[in-house]
Amino acid sequence: MKVIADVLDKELIDRNGEPIGRVDGLVMHVGERTQPRITHIAVGGPALWERLHPAFARLSRRLARMWGPKRTEQVRIPWSRVKTAGRDIKLDVEGKETGAIDWEIWISRKIIKRIPGSGGDEEGDGSQS
Amino acid sequence: MDSILSWIGTAGMTGEAWLRHTTPDKYSAQTLELSSETILQISTQLLKSPPSSVDSSALDSTITKTRKHIDQMARLIRAKDSPAFAHQLDSLRADQKIVKQLSDSIEASQ
Amino acid sequence: MSKVLQVTLGLITSIGGFLEIGSVITAAQAGAAFGYKLLWAILLGTLCLVFLVEMSGRLAAVSKHTIVEATRARFGFPFFFIVTIGMGIVAFLVLIAELGGIGLSLQILTGIGFSWWAVAVSIVVWLLMWRGTFSLIENGASLLGLVTISFVVAAIKLHPDWGSAAHGLIPSLPGHDKTKYWFVAVSILGASISPYLMYFYSSGAVEDGWDETYIPINRIIAGIGMTFGGFLSMAVLVGAALFFQPKGIQVDKFSQAALLMTTALPKWGFFLFALSMLFACLGAALEISLAIAYFFAQGFGWNWSEDMNPSRDARFAFTYTIIILLAAVPLLFGIDPVKVTVISMALTSATLPLAIVPFLLLMNDPDYLRDQRNGWLSNTVVSIVILISFVLAIISIPLEFFGS
Repeated sequence: MKVIADVLDKELIDRNGEPIGRVDGLVMHVGERTQPRITHIAVGGPALWERLHPAFARLSRRLARMWGPKRTEQVRIPWSRVKTAGRDIKLDVEGKETGAIDWEIWISRKIIKRIPGSGGDEEGDGSQS
Repeated sequence: MDSILSWIGTAGMTGEAWLRHTTPDKYSAQTLELSSETILQISTQLLKSPPSSVDSSALDSTITKTRKHIDQMARLIRAKDSPAFAHQLDSLRADQKIVKQLSDSIEASQ
Repeated sequence: MSKVLQVTLGLITSIGGFLEIGSVITAAQAGAAFGYKLLWAILLGTLCLVFLVEMSGRLAAVSKHTIVEATRARFGFPFFFIVTIGMGIVAFLVLIAELGGIGLSLQILTGIGFSWWAVAVSIVVWLLMWRGTFSLIENGASLLGLVTISFVVAAIKLHPDWGSAAHGLIPSLPGHDKTKYWFVAVSILGASISPYLMYFYSSGAVEDGWDETYIPINRIIAGIGMTFGGFLSMAVLVGAALFFQPKGIQVDKFSQAALLMTTALPKWGFFLFALSMLFACLGAALEISLAIAYFFAQGFGWNWSEDMNPSRDARFAFTYTIIILLAAVPLLFGIDPVKVTVISMALTSATLPLAIVPFLLLMNDPDYLRDQRNGWLSNTVVSIVILISFVLAIISIPLEFFGS
């Protein structure tokens, strides 16, 4: 299927033009009478490691339970939110709301902002460009 | 043998550079000490299975003498004694020639 | 910024940033052991690098994507993962070598051993990354790196025999130490053709917002800048051939290499060597740390820019923080940076196809390059040099370490 080659592994850009991850997997709906179609884009964690080997995916799940933002379910973005799919995939969503950048936020809050000079003293993200 | 000669050469050049006041004392002394240590390591390895064409006791004593001169040079840097240092450097040059001859004779016999 | 200024700045960065511990040590070893005979390896490596750097800039200017972004998107995650492992290990070893090179430069200047410097050096490098901007790192480090031009002055003052030097540009078989000859040739190729430089350069082009109008500038910077950089390596080799070879000194340790300029430039030679290595390795350490962080961020789709505050690209900043601190650990235990250098340069050669083959395919892909795809010349030169490096590497590395 060409769409998979066209979409898989592409960069995801959110509404604000920020990169929020890559298309690490695709969720398909295979109906009995209808054509199979993509329903969701999977981002991060298990979907990605599953493509190497199920053992990696198990390891990634176990680590995610011990450490980090403690998100257990796979991040999925509905296909309906895709605005354009060119060399990058542009989405009509806010990165933060999708859960795709949970890790980014977690590392920023728990580690980076605690180190002096990180420029993260201001409240919120995106206060400086 | 090549590595021993390489390190004797290093000690010689380090000595010359120090005499010309082109290198710091600490660096020069440390490099001489490193040369001496490395020569000891290599020669110990070499003398475990010495080349048959060479008198191993002669080789051993030459190298011991060479190392003594290098160690002496390192000490003289700390004492900032240039004349004595120059004297030791000359002896080292003489040792270098002997080691070179030994090395050539080994190579010729192979 | 005017284009003339950009070209000038680009040339300064490629010349001042060219040398690092790998190119200096391998060139010095080659000159000390084989005279001018291995000049061809630098020529071949530099030629290939000219093409690769030009390609990296062109990809960024036309597609607005870096090599890493395009590699993941075009070849998929499983393949990308293999490239990551290979490049990650080699780049990490090179980072250890460069941090060690800074430590060794400080050691010969002060007499205090490099392992004592390891933590301080890695904190300084990290601080420059944490607070610095891309242009500060690129331009600042390479401006200081211009002191490496002293190698050229030293080589000329030793009065090389230009005729035999020219002979060295043509490959020839060695009369002695064949294994070592090929191993050093492989290390030189690895030191010249550094993939991290491509990742750094293409990310820099994207950071600076290059578009297709930059293609001519890019060509000048890659062509002239890298060629002059290659001359610097050749100067180190020529200087070593004239200074070390007649005395039978092999360059196994950094303190031996430090003698290189002591006769050519009696007053300043030693300090110029120490400062050259200090700045060259500092620049390289910054570039590699950035290249590794870029690699992960771009491959996994994180936010990345050296010009942002760390809190805005947390995973990017976290990556280089961890890597720079980890690289100090082996140095603390006293591992010899020169040994790490030699091994990592040879390994670079052996892993070149992993980085370059997908890159070549991308450069011929109309989806990314449209009408700016590679011509036959770039494809041929790069393929041949990479093939040579790889074949020589897989033959000579085992021989060097497990041979007779």
